[in-house]
Amino acid sequence: MKITKEIIERIEGEATLELEWKDKKISYAKIKFLNYRAMEDILKDRPMLDALMITPRVCGICSHSHVNATIEAIEDSYRNIGVELELTNKAKQIRELVLNAEKIQNHIKWFYFLILPELFKINKEKFVLAESFKDKEWFEAQNALATVLKMGAIFSGQWPHGSYVMTGGVTCDPLESDILNAKNYLLEVKEFCEERLYGCSIEEFLKLDSISDLIDGNSTLDMAVAFMKELGFNKIGKSYDRFISFGDHKGVNEPVKALKTRLFKTNVKFVSESLKNSFFDKGNKGFTYSKSAVYKDNFYEVGPLARLMISKDSMIRDCHRRCTDSVITRIIARVKEIALLLKRSEELLENIDIREKSIISPIHLPKNITAQGVGVVEAARGTLIHKISVNEGKIVNFDIIPPTVWNLGNGSPEKPAIAQKAIIGLDSVEKADFVFKSFDICSVCTTQ
Amino acid sequence: MSDFHPKKTIVWIQGITCNGDSHSFFNYSGMKNFANNFKIIYHPLLITSYDLEAILANEDRYDYLIVEGSFTKVRDYVDRSGYSFEHLVENLSKRVDYIICAGTCASYGGIFRERDKINITGALFSGDEEGGYWNENKKVINIPGCPLHPRWLVDTLLILKEGKPLLLDEFFRPKEVFSYFVHHGCLRNEYFEWKIDTKGFGEKEGCLFYEQGCRGPMTHANCNKILWNEVSSKTRAGSPCLGCTEPDFPRENVYETKTRMSLPAVPYGVSKRAYYTITGVAKSFRIDRLERKLIGDEHEDY
Repeated sequence: MKITKEIIERIEGEATLELEWKDKKISYAKIKFLNYRAMEDILKDRPMLDALMITPRVCGICSHSHVNATIEAIEDSYRNIGVELELTNKAKQIRELVLNAEKIQNHIKWFYFLILPELFKINKEKFVLAESFKDKEWFEAQNALATVLKMGAIFSGQWPHGSYVMTGGVTCDPLESDILNAKNYLLEVKEFCEERLYGCSIEEFLKLDSISDLIDGNSTLDMAVAFMKELGFNKIGKSYDRFISFGDHKGVNEPVKALKTRLFKTNVKFVSESLKNSFFDKGNKGFTYSKSAVYKDNFYEVGPLARLMISKDSMIRDCHRRCTDSVITRIIARVKEIALLLKRSEELLENIDIREKSIISPIHLPKNITAQGVGVVEAARGTLIHKISVNEGKIVNFDIIPPTVWNLGNGSPEKPAIAQKAIIGLDSVEKADFVFKSFDICSVCTTQ
Repeated sequence: MSDFHPKKTIVWIQGITCNGDSHSFFNYSGMKNFANNFKIIYHPLLITSYDLEAILANEDRYDYLIVEGSFTKVRDYVDRSGYSFEHLVENLSKRVDYIICAGTCASYGGIFRERDKINITGALFSGDEEGGYWNENKKVINIPGCPLHPRWLVDTLLILKEGKPLLLDEFFRPKEVFSYFVHHGCLRNEYFEWKIDTKGFGEKEGCLFYEQGCRGPMTHANCNKILWNEVSSKTRAGSPCLGCTEPDFPRENVYETKTRMSLPAVPYGVSKRAYYTITGVAKSFRIDRLERKLIGDEHEDY
């Protein structure tokens, strides 16, 4: 049996795929993450609120998802000891809006900085586009992602590594003119997406309910979809066709899992992390720092595809009917989510009432609490869970379950994890590389 | 681009990192101008003409080595395409004119130094102590910040490229950025002058220095002069400065102001006697305007 090692670069951090080959096809794939920073240990023994400073630094591309998961875990801890904490609508809206900015940024960056250049690599004549620091559209995309972050930074102070949340709400106190300014930035990003990415207005795009609408046009997404179809990407990269999302995202209001298209209620208490195959599994020979998240011992895909399958998005459901959970469906879902998030952000900006309080009396909260709490956030790459355990105000234990350990963990040859299953059976390293990247890899989150 | 004005070359590598400085750089608002002046030969998150292996194998000279993330010689702490961080640094640092430490981690060790304060450091410092990865290296320029502001990086690169004098302070930081304090330009300055505390978070009014742990008056950086993402800053968004550009970042108990005999620490370079005297005088007056909401009818029940 032949074994090859492929180092996958140009992702958030770095990963190694160890591929086993049989009859010129990949028979098994080990996914290795070799950089570990011990963030959970760094958090220990610190005052609880210090976590709001430390967890954003887990990851430079989703720092605000982490700070939100942390504040939710802290608030849950208070609720668990009987403290009432009801956030104002304004605080909830601002938290979501700032998160949306981060997700839109992430998806634009992923598509333009990673996916398009990969397609370009496959066929330079067919696919002319998006060379970094060179092509017009690359600069436009860079401007769009910086601009959407301006919208967020009006409320978060900065991105990345803002710490704009506090127990009971948000720290900012915006003016009407701040809201107007945010709307202007949003409009600018919307225009870029309409002119370049989608080739039609966001409203029109959101009405499309068939993948065939995407193939004939001249927009960048249309061209990418047509090209991927030509390459047969509608047939590769399929995993278990099993999805999970824990809610608080437009269209997914409660924890739900989907087996193909059928939906079932779920509960975060059944989520666990397996140490199997990792260096943390004492006594056994591990090969990665990544743990694997499972729901009742089964692997589930998280991320935009999971969210859109669960929220019954008509275009993604159509794409799924034709191509199931192939790489093309996964990619379209992530690009589609940009439009949904833009629309949702517009609604949020329209509805924020600045006269409401930003935060509810957090100063009188007892600081030296002994409690436990769980925070769950839908981050760009999927469900992010923080579990905190505090003794007299000091962190005793902090558990971070990032989206990528759902998708990028390791199972066994009999029961591979999500990305492993999508890679097994492929006949080239290039395809394995592309399928792997379709999950939007983030190694810094995966191993922390 | 004419031959008389060639682009300067950049190789960007990472130690122990969260990628935050890269992502902050991607927010830079003058990216076309950047691209007219510089060519990124290698960056781990971008498609570049060379991969890491090719860069390490050739013998070309480059102008700037940008290092993001903490420095370490421990093999287990970092793996980059199968190479140790030490290998990357030893190979590349000799072939460049300047080594630019992008961010607090590369400058002082930063957040990841909390894991192992002996073996995880900055290039020339370990926290505020001299001696990091190197004891001496005249090529190093430190641009701390968690993350750094994209302008701090690109302005520095442009000043170097144009051959203008780049003045550095005792921490090898560009003086144009780090002679300022986060306090400068803070919209809460008047409350600071009259020692009026904010009434909790989520308010435009009041100063965050007395209760909420704000480090603005002792943190070197021009955040409130040039603003983040060109629109705001931590203190403008009601959040205390966490002192993320300083060698002692991350401090403990950051959302609380440490006091001695109920007096906070004093702003950088101000004597205790001067500060506490002026505080006593300021506090003895009650300024009605500053006790009221900035805009009257907000937050009232309706």
